[in-house]
Amino acid sequence: MEGPSSRSSHTQDRPPCPPGRRASCDGAESDHARDTKTHFRVCRFIMETGVKLEMRSVPVATACVLYHHFFERVSIRSYEPYLVAMSCLYLAGKVEEQHLRTRDIINVSHRYFNSGSAPLECDKEFWDVRDSVVQCELLILRQLNFQVSFEHPHKYLLHYLPSVKSLVNRHAWSRAPVAETSWALLRDCYHGAMCIRHTPQHIAIATLYLALNSYGVELPVGEKEWWQVLCEDVTKADIDAVISDLLQLYDMEAKCI
Amino acid sequence: MDRNLLRQSLTFHGESLLNKLKCEQAENPDFQAAVSELCKTTYESSGEPQSNPLVEQFIARKADILFCPEWKTAALQDEEHEDEEAAEPCAIMPPLELFMEVSFDERRAMLYRDLEKGDLVVGRINNIREYGFFLTLLCMAGGLKRDIEDLELSALCHIREIPSTGSHDDPLSYYQIGDFIRAGVKDIDRYQEKITVSLQQASLSPSLEQIKLGVITREELPIHYSRSVRAASDSSMTYECILMGCHGYHNPSVVDYLLEKVGVSDIHPPSMMRGLQSKLFIEDDFASAIRKKQSASWALKCVRAGVDHFKHGRHVEAMNEYNKALEIDTNNVEALVARGALYANKGGIMKAVSDFELALESCPDHRNAKKYLCQTLVERGKQLEEQEKLVTAEGLYRRALSLDDSNPEAQEALNKITETIQKSIRLREEALAKEQEKAKSVPTSAEKLRKILKEEKRMKKKRKRSASSASSSSSASGNSSLSSSSSRRRSKKKKKKRRRSERESKRHRRVSSRDSRRSEEGKSEKERKEREEEEELEWYPAPPNTSATFLNQKGGPDFGEKVEERMKEKDVERRISQLYSLSAASEDEESDSSRREKKKGEREESRGRRRKNTLSRSPEKEERRDKSKERGKEDNRRNSDSKRRSSLDENRKRKVSCSSAESEYSRKSNFKSEYSGNSGSASKHSGSRRGSDSSQRGSFNGGRYENKGREEVWEVEEVKTEKESRKWRAEEESRSGSRSEGGNNKRLERGVTSASAERPKKELPANLLDIFNKIAKFEKEKGGGPKK
Repeated sequence: MEGPSSRSSHTQDRPPCPPGRRASCDGAESDHARDTKTHFRVCRFIMETGVKLEMRSVPVATACVLYHHFFERVSIRSYEPYLVAMSCLYLAGKVEEQHLRTRDIINVSHRYFNSGSAPLECDKEFWDVRDSVVQCELLILRQLNFQVSFEHPHKYLLHYLPSVKSLVNRHAWSRAPVAETSWALLRDCYHGAMCIRHTPQHIAIATLYLALNSYGVELPVGEKEWWQVLCEDVTKADIDAVISDLLQLYDMEAKCI
Repeated sequence: MDRNLLRQSLTFHGESLLNKLKCEQAENPDFQAAVSELCKTTYESSGEPQSNPLVEQFIARKADILFCPEWKTAALQDEEHEDEEAAEPCAIMPPLELFMEVSFDERRAMLYRDLEKGDLVVGRINNIREYGFFLTLLCMAGGLKRDIEDLELSALCHIREIPSTGSHDDPLSYYQIGDFIRAGVKDIDRYQEKITVSLQQASLSPSLEQIKLGVITREELPIHYSRSVRAASDSSMTYECILMGCHGYHNPSVVDYLLEKVGVSDIHPPSMMRGLQSKLFIEDDFASAIRKKQSASWALKCVRAGVDHFKHGRHVEAMNEYNKALEIDTNNVEALVARGALYANKGGIMKAVSDFELALESCPDHRNAKKYLCQTLVERGKQLEEQEKLVTAEGLYRRALSLDDSNPEAQEALNKITETIQKSIRLREEALAKEQEKAKSVPTSAEKLRKILKEEKRMKKKRKRSASSASSSSSASGNSSLSSSSSRRRSKKKKKKRRRSERESKRHRRVSSRDSRRSEEGKSEKERKEREEEEELEWYPAPPNTSATFLNQKGGPDFGEKVEERMKEKDVERRISQLYSLSAASEDEESDSSRREKKKGEREESRGRRRKNTLSRSPEKEERRDKSKERGKEDNRRNSDSKRRSSLDENRKRKVSCSSAESEYSRKSNFKSEYSGNSGSASKHSGSRRGSDSSQRGSFNGGRYENKGREEVWEVEEVKTEKESRKWRAEEESRSGSRSEGGNNKRLERGVTSASAERPKKELPANLLDIFNKIAKFEKEKGGGPKK
C-alpha cells in the first residue's frame, strides 16, 4: 500500500521488526507470536472498518476468512497486511453481495490510520491506493484459486437459537440475552485464524454453549445433549477447543491493544 | 448490572465465580454495589462438576458487558405463527427434544410448567359429550414449540367455548370424532394436570389473534409437526439432515431474516471485545460521514478552480468546473451560488434564481446566496417590467425585499412599480369606458375580417398548388390543409404569425438597406425569434373568439398598454408636427424607428402570450409554472435584450412612443412617396400610394383604434398586394434596370436580392414577398426622394 497512511501503520505495527528477528535465537517462536498479534490487529482493523462501512456480519466474516486464508499461503512479510485487509473487505463485499466502494474503504482506512484527519484529496495518492487495492484483490483471488465463497457459522447459529429457545421456559429465556451474547462471541471469533480451523457448526455450537453457560441457563438433558443433536460429529472436546481458542483471543486483546 | 441474571449465573457456576468476580470487577462500582447482596446467599459449587475455570475467568472479566442491562437489545419477540408465510423464509425445525430423547416424565412436567394461557394447540377430537368435546393434543401450533404427541395429553373444550353459528342449532353437531381442531389454551390446571381449550378467538394471545380456530384439514397441520412425524418414524433423519433439506435454510437472506427475528442488530453489532464496543464508534468515522465531507471538499476544489476560470473570463471552463462540483456533491452550496452568479452574468436569470434558491434551501443563511438572489430578482423584475409584466415584477421585488429588507434597489423599484400599477389601473378604467363606446363598430369589422380570411384561403389553395415547395412555408401549408372546423381559429393564428413576421421582415429590409452585413447578423436572430413565436403559438392555443374586441378586452395585468395608448395619442400629434420639418434627418429617424419596431415586435409578442395566460390563470402563477419552459427562451432573448437595454428611463420613453412611431413611419413613407411621385413614373406612384394609403388609414384612426384596425388593414393590404404582385414585380425589375445610378439604390438592390434569396430559409408565407417588394419600393423612393 502506498501513501503515508500505510507507512505509518507499518512502522507502528512492528517497530523492532527487522533487527528483532535477526537477533533473537528463539526467532521462530517469537515470530509466530508477533505474527499472531499482527493478524489480530489487522482483523480488528477489518472488524472496525466493517462496522464503519456498515457491513453486515457475514461479509465481514468473509473478509476475515479471506485474510486468514491468504496469509495461510503466503508470508506476512511478503505483503502489507493492511492493504490485503482492505482488498479482502472489497472482495468480501462482492462475494456476499454487499458491494462496497473502494473510495469508502480507502476513506475509512485512512481515517483509521490517521484518526481525526481530513479525508483524502482526489489526487495521485488516492488513486495510487485505489490501484493497489484493486491489484491486491486480484492477487488474493489468484492465491485462493478463486475459491472465495465460504460457509459461515452464522446461519447455523441463527437456526440453533430458536430450537434451543423452545427447550427453555420463555421467561427464563427472555431474561438472559443469549442471542446477543452468542452473536457477539461468533463475531469475535474472526479475530484469529480459529475461524478457519474449526468447522462452522462447531463454532456455532460453541458460541451458543458459552453464552448459555455464562448466564447459567439450564437445558433439559435426555439421552443426548442438545449440542449432540444439533451436530452429529461434535464432541465436548471440540466445543472446549473452540471456547479455549476464543477465550485466548480475548486475552490477546488485552495484550495487543 | 442485572442482579437476577448475575445470581442465576452464580448459582450455576458456584462460589469460585463469585471470587473471580470480586477480583476482576473490583473497580466496577456497579458490581461493588451489588456484591454485598450477592454474598448473602451461599453458592454451593453444585453447578457443573467440570465447570471450566477459564470460562469462569471469562465471565468474571466480561461481567460488566454480559450482565449490563443495555446489552440485551432484543425486545421480547412475539412468537410468529409459522404457517402465516407460505414460503419458508428460514428452516422450520421439529422440536429439539424429539432428537434428544428426553424422558416422558420430564417432558410432561416441562410442558405443564411452560404451557401458558393463549398458546395455540392442535388436537384430534376423541370424544364428544353434551357439555363439550375432548381433544387428544397432537402438537403445538404457536407460542411454544414442543413435542407433545406422545404425552397422552387430553384437553376439554367446553360447549360454552364453541362459537355458535345459529341460535337454534346445537354447536356440537358440527364436530365429529377424528376432526383436527386448532384451539387456544384457555386454562391449565398444573396440579391436577388438566387443560381446557377454547375455540373463541379471544382466548388467543394478541400476537396470534389473526389465526383462525376450529376444524382444520390434514394439510393445515403445522409444518414442524409433519417433519417431526417423519423424523420420529425414521431414525436416520437427524436434526442436521432436516436442516439441510429445508428450503428456508438455503434462503440467501436467511441470516438477515433470522437476525431481525431474533432481535440482534447487525448495524451496531454486539461484541465482547472491549475495543469494539459500539459506543466507541464515532459517527464522524463512518464511511457515509467521511464521504460527505470528502465530496464537499472535492467539490469546493472544483468551485475554486471554476472561480479562477471565471475571474480570467473563461466562462465555459468555469461552468464546467461548477457542474463537475455539483456532480461530485449535489446541492453543494458554494457551487450552486457560483454557478448561479455565472448564470446571472451570462443572462440566464431564471437559471440563476433557481440555483440560488437551491443553495438557500440547504443553507438558508448563506449570505452571498441571499445577496445574489436578491439582486437577480430585482434584475429579473426590471426585465419583466420592460415586458409589461408589472404584477409579476412587483412580486419579484417583494420577494427580493423579503430576503433582504434593507436592499435599497429593490425598495426603490417596488415603490416605482406600485406607483405605475396604480396609475395604470386608473387609466385602464378610463380606457374600458371608451372601449364600450367602440364596441358597436366591432361586429362589422369582425365580419369583414372573416370575409377577407375566406378569400385569402381560397387564394392560398390556388397558390399552394402552383407554388414551389420552398416558398410555401411548412407551417402555413400545414395549417391550410387542416379541417375546416378549426379553420377560423387557425387562420387567425396564421395571420398573426404573418403579421409578426411581416413586420420583422420589414425591419429586416430596412436594416439591410443600411448595412447588409448587419442584416446577416440579424438574420439568425430573427429566425430564432420566429421559431420562438411559432412555439408560442403552439403552446397557447388561440382563443376561439375571433372578434377583434376580444383582443383588447383582456384581464388584469396589461394596464401598461393602455397607458401607452393614451400617451401615444398625444405623442402622435407631437411627432407629426416634428415630422414636417424633418426630412433631411430621415436617416436618424429611420434607425430609431426600426429599433422601436423591434421593441414593438417583442412587446407584442409578450403581450400576446400574456393575454393567453390571463385567460385561465393569474400571470404570477403562470410565470412560475412556465419558468422552466420559458427559461430557454429567456436565455436567448436576454442576449439580445441586454444589448438594447441602456437605461430604464430611456426605454420607457421609447416604448411609449414606439407604436406611434410606426404609424408615423407609414405616414412618413407616404409623405415621401408623394415626394418621389413627382419625379418618378406615374404608375409606380399610384401603386405605392395605394399601399401606403391603407396603412395610413390605420394610423389616421388614431392610437386607440390601432390594435383592431391594423390587423384588418394588413389583411386588406395583403389581399390587394396579392392581386397586384405580378404587376409590381415586373415594374420593379424594369426599374432596377433603368435606375441604377444612385449608390443608395444599388445597396438596396442587393438587400432585396439577398432577402429574396433567404426566402426559403426564413419560411415566410409567399404572399409576404409581395409586401417585401412593396416595402422595397418605398425604400427606394425614400432613398431617391431627398436627392431630387
